[in-house]
Amino acid sequence: MAGGYTGKILRVNLTEEKFKIETLPDEWIKPYIGGDGFGAKLLFEELPAGIDPLSEQNKLIIATGPITGTMWPMSGRTVLISKAPLTGIWGESHVGGFLGAELKYAGYDMLVIEGKSEKPVYIDIHDSDLQLRDAKNKWGFTTDTVTTAIKKDKHDPDVQVAAIGPAGERKVRYASVMINHARAAGRTGMGAVLGSKNVKAIAIRGHGAVEVHDLEGFMKFAKEGHMRVRTNPIAQEMSKVGTWGLVAVKQEIGELPTFNHQTGVFDGWEKLSGDYIRPRYTIGDRACFGCSLGCKKVNYIQDGPFAGTLEEGPEYEGLMAFGSLLGIDDFATTLKANQICNRYGMDIISAGSTIAFAIEAFVKGAITEKDTGGLKLEWGNREQLIKLLEMIGERDGFGALLAEGSKRAADSLGRGTAKFAIHVKGMEVSGQDGRTHRSIALGHATGARGADHLRSLVVVDQLGYEDVAAKRWGADKLPEIIDPYTEKYKANAVFESENAYCIRDTLIVCWYTVSWPPIFWMEDFAKILPLATGENYFSKVENLTEIAERQVTLKRLFNAREGITKKDDSLPDRFTKDPMPEGPGKGQTVDLEPMLRDYYTLRGWDLETGLPTDKTMKRLSLEWTKAHS
Amino acid sequence: MPKNYREVVSNIIDHEVVYLPSQLIVDFNKCTGCRICELACSAKHEGKFQPSLARLKIIRYDDLGIDIPNVCGPCETAPCVDICPVFAMRRDPITKMTYIDEDMCILCKSCVGACVNGVILLDTVKMRIIKCDHCGGDPECAKACPTGAITYGPDTSLATVDRHGKILSYMKEIERTDKVHETGAE
Repeated sequence: MAGGYTGKILRVNLTEEKFKIETLPDEWIKPYIGGDGFGAKLLFEELPAGIDPLSEQNKLIIATGPITGTMWPMSGRTVLISKAPLTGIWGESHVGGFLGAELKYAGYDMLVIEGKSEKPVYIDIHDSDLQLRDAKNKWGFTTDTVTTAIKKDKHDPDVQVAAIGPAGERKVRYASVMINHARAAGRTGMGAVLGSKNVKAIAIRGHGAVEVHDLEGFMKFAKEGHMRVRTNPIAQEMSKVGTWGLVAVKQEIGELPTFNHQTGVFDGWEKLSGDYIRPRYTIGDRACFGCSLGCKKVNYIQDGPFAGTLEEGPEYEGLMAFGSLLGIDDFATTLKANQICNRYGMDIISAGSTIAFAIEAFVKGAITEKDTGGLKLEWGNREQLIKLLEMIGERDGFGALLAEGSKRAADSLGRGTAKFAIHVKGMEVSGQDGRTHRSIALGHATGARGADHLRSLVVVDQLGYEDVAAKRWGADKLPEIIDPYTEKYKANAVFESENAYCIRDTLIVCWYTVSWPPIFWMEDFAKILPLATGENYFSKVENLTEIAERQVTLKRLFNAREGITKKDDSLPDRFTKDPMPEGPGKGQTVDLEPMLRDYYTLRGWDLETGLPTDKTMKRLSLEWTKAHS
Repeated sequence: MPKNYREVVSNIIDHEVVYLPSQLIVDFNKCTGCRICELACSAKHEGKFQPSLARLKIIRYDDLGIDIPNVCGPCETAPCVDICPVFAMRRDPITKMTYIDEDMCILCKSCVGACVNGVILLDTVKMRIIKCDHCGGDPECAKACPTGAITYGPDTSLATVDRHGKILSYMKEIERTDKVHETGAE
């Protein structure tokens, strides 16, 4: 087995209450590397088309990559993969914390959860000691309580626990899986999949090792990598304020989603900015496994209605979803809302966005107090936000409707509410706006799991790094390629970034190593992968690009099997028809079609259907997929 | 009847206090809990990434948001040395670092239980006691720590301990001279 891998896949069949250890097929390594790649391959082969994501047939995969658990900077990440309850298509959610590394130390590259348990259980993996333990007395617990309870049961504070909260148990469509109390595998509803299988938690403890091919070379480059992170000025800024620094940047460029994406300018932004929050609320810095950046902030609220709240987070997306998106200019409220989401186990972006949908529909008269159960919804109401979140987590009254996500809620409400649901393929749009940043419009529209800011977000154009753009895409494409208001060349930027992020997600490393502007890029991955695995095929960037293309196309084929075509690669009318009302991007709208055509051409997908052509499938050796269609 | 001052002083036992030239110093306010130190340690000593065999341990309290590094030392009086029944655990006379003589070790695990920081381990695969040796004076963990939570050097706070010992011996000296010369010193 190549270095970096443990070479084993652990399967849990909940129906038969059996564990099974399989060998990781050697022939997967070259074309798929790990992480997302293995997950896509396994899910495509084993999941029949058209199944209900919340049924017994669905599977949940926890995957790691070849450098998970090593000293490469920020390599402690894990991915949860399944058919998504929120969208009914490809679902994946990456999460930091310590779970992935622990899984590898226990001796497994992947954990595959199949079937459905009759009664509530938790999966207990202690090296080779594998047990399904009764979780009847833990059902109903919030994620932090169940994590503490399992650590107490096992008499070991070092057990890593991935837990679902009441929202996951009640199959809230965007329920998350929580790790280390405040790390969330948030998007697409992985918590609901675990909930539908009656799995309350997964506890992992490993004492084994991860061995790389060339330790000396690996350590040398890893230490150099850590120094690059430590000396990078933007990384240094991030270790002070995390992603909060983005609020000020977004406000400046008019892209801070406000009042359910109606505008990109928020008057109360200053109270949500990093410079305001850190001196007032932050009491500590924390990091995920193997990270020298440490972007997680522990915050404490001393006074006001939410006094006594101690919680990590929220990220920029949390400040956006519970702050500007709802017209709330108070950090304490966003922290409290974040805590409720963490404890109930819910995705903050989808939760905030669904509430914003309801408020806009109410304010504009599409729904009334009859629908909301007497609640008078309004912008900027702090207590109401907390109440609504608890109602969603409990699936209580109006909360039961919001627990289905904005698309399903709009479908069942009707009355023209669909135009207030800001989603792509059923997943709520994250804290970006295509009108002031064209490349993210394309990214949102084409993302495999729906409106996604983590698979293809180009920041080079948005922040205007000319030298990086020239180096990466060629000086001939300047200045259009870094102009956020034109569609021209945006597909090139998205294509190239998406490929690099694909490799990032197979290794798996953190998004912040490839962000503003990237600390590591393809050539660094091409250097570290051979050192870790001993596989020289990975040492060429063009080979990695081909692997990435294969992976993007494979996910596309997965979605195509579920009925996704070009018509689903769309954006809400808000971005394509309503011009941006104010700010630097005033008057801008998105013209998606030309970007889509460029993107399909680059990917080798059919321009009319948006599906991969036979030629592309042959080029990427994906013809095996036809046997599973 | 209250004890008189001299009685109190003479009852204080003077602990054997060892001055430690250099040691690992921990500032848990700076620790982010990233466990890079554990990785660097196991890579250096074991040739692989295996935090369970690292010579130091980060304890993370996720509910409180606190991370505490546990490292070997500083131990002015070392329980691992005191408890070892076969004198396999000893203190180096120059560096004052405690070290294990593997040839003498009978794997009784007394030191594992006695270590107040919980960083002495029994490797049940290779059957040996694992203990930090400060990498011979150039600790990998301190070099790898990104925030400076673990550093290596002489600790000024030790001066208090040192002074405590000095005062005790000073007071005993006064008492002794008083007994001999009956000067009536107080």
